[in-house]
Amino acid sequence: MKLNVSPAIVLHHTNYGEADRIVTLLTPDNGRIKGFARNARKSRKRFGAALETFAEVQLHWTQRPGSGLVTFQEAELVSLRAGLRTDLDTLALAGYGCELTGVLFDETVGAAETFSLLKAFLDHLDVNGASDEARLLLELRLLSLSGYVPHLQHCAACDADLPAGPVGFSAARNGSLCEACGGGRMTLQVDRMTLGTLGRILQTPLNHFEGFRLSPLTRREGLALMAETLRHHLPSPLKSQSFMTALDSADES
Amino acid sequence: MLDSIPSFTRLVTELTKFPGIGSKTATRLAFFLLRQTSAEAEALAGAILDLKRHTRFCSVCYHITESDPCQICTDSARDDRLLCVVETPQDLLAVERSHSFRGRYHVLHGALSPLDGIGPNDLKIPELLQRLQPGEIDEVLVATNFTVEGDATALYLARQIQQSGIRVTRLAYGIPMGSELEYVDEATVNRAIEGRRKID
Ligand SMILES: [Zn+2]
Ligand SMILES: [Zn+2]
Repeated sequence: MKLNVSPAIVLHHTNYGEADRIVTLLTPDNGRIKGFARNARKSRKRFGAALETFAEVQLHWTQRPGSGLVTFQEAELVSLRAGLRTDLDTLALAGYGCELTGVLFDETVGAAETFSLLKAFLDHLDVNGASDEARLLLELRLLSLSGYVPHLQHCAACDADLPAGPVGFSAARNGSLCEACGGGRMTLQVDRMTLGTLGRILQTPLNHFEGFRLSPLTRREGLALMAETLRHHLPSPLKSQSFMTALDSADES
Repeated sequence: MLDSIPSFTRLVTELTKFPGIGSKTATRLAFFLLRQTSAEAEALAGAILDLKRHTRFCSVCYHITESDPCQICTDSARDDRLLCVVETPQDLLAVERSHSFRGRYHVLHGALSPLDGIGPNDLKIPELLQRLQPGEIDEVLVATNFTVEGDATALYLARQIQQSGIRVTRLAYGIPMGSELEYVDEATVNRAIEGRRKID
C-alpha cells in the first residue's frame, strides 16, 4: 500500500469505542480525508496532541483501494494553535470555520486554495482572536470557492447598475436586485457601499486576513447577507452555529 | 456453525456491544461463561441487574450513587467551600484516587463542543450554576480534560462563574510523572514551561 504524506488540518474528530478516534482532516492535494486512529485517546505516544481539532500536522497515511476510511500511520504536530483555545468566542469561531469549510468544500475544485484559506483563517484567529471581519472574509471566500457567491454589484436579474443607498438582496434570486426587478420588496436591504466592499474583498488574496477594518454598518450588513446566502445553500443549520447562539443567549441572561 | 446454537449467538451479540469488544473476544467470553457453574452465571446476571436497579445519579452532584444524595455529598468531613467540576463519573474517580482533593464535586456528563453542537444546556451546567450560591463557595476547580472540548468548557465556566466573585481555577498542565522529557510532545512541554514553578 502506498504511503501518503501531506500537511493536513484537523477539522473534526469523534470518539469511537473506548480508545479510538475517527478524524476528518483537510489536505491541499487530497482534499478531505477521514480515517481511523487506533488508540488515539488512551496512548499519547503515537499521536499526542496532533489529532486535536484545529491542529496542523504532517500526516502519514495509507488507504486500501475502495475503502472510504484511511489508516493513519503517523502525525507530526506542526502547530497546535493553542491561542484558539484561550478565548471562548475565538474557539467557537474557529470551530465554525472548520465546520463550514467541511460542509462547503467541493471535491471537484482546488483543495489547495481551500486549505490555504482555512490555514490563514485559523492562524489569524490564533494570534488576533475572533472578529466579525475574519468571519466575513472566510464566509465570502468559501462561498466564492464553492461557486455560491451571489451577484453583488449589479442586479442579479437584469445586470443593471445599482443606485446608491439601500439595495434589496435575495439569496433565492441569487443576489442584489434593482428596483425594477423587485429589490424594494426584499426583507434584506443592504447599502450599495457594503456590496462594493464585499466585491473588493473578493479581489484580495485568499490568505490575507490582516488589516481589514470594516465599519459597524458594513460588518452588520455583510454578516446578514452571508447568513441569508448560507441559509439558502446549506442543507441544514451548522452545529457550531447553534453553539454560538447558545453562548450568546447565555451571556444575555 | 455457531448459528445452530441461538442462545450462544445471542450472548455473543450482547457482548459485542461492550466498548472495545469485537466478535472474537465476545466469542471467547461466551465460551468462558459456558464453562462456569449456573451459580456463577447467575451471580453475574444478578450483578448487572442490581446495578441498573439500584444506581441513579445523585441529585446534588450527578455522580453515580445508590443513596441520594451520594456518600461524597453527605460526608461531613469534606470542605463545602471547594467544588471540583469534572466531565464524567470516571474523572471524579480519577481525582479521588489522587487523595489530594477534599472538597465536593459536580459531574457535567460531558463537555461543550462547538462542532458537535453540544451547548451548556445539554450538560449539567445550569444545575452547577444553581448550586453556586454567593458566599457559600470560595473556589471552583475545573478539572475538565485538556482537549478542545475540555478547554471550551473551562472557558465557559470561568466566564459564567467569575462574575459572581467565586475564584475559578483549573488543573495545571504538565509533564506526566515518570516520563522523560525527550518523549513528551511539544504542546505539553510548551504548557509546562508556561506553568513553571519556583523550587522551594
Ligand atoms: Zn434588475
Ligand atoms: Zn452527590
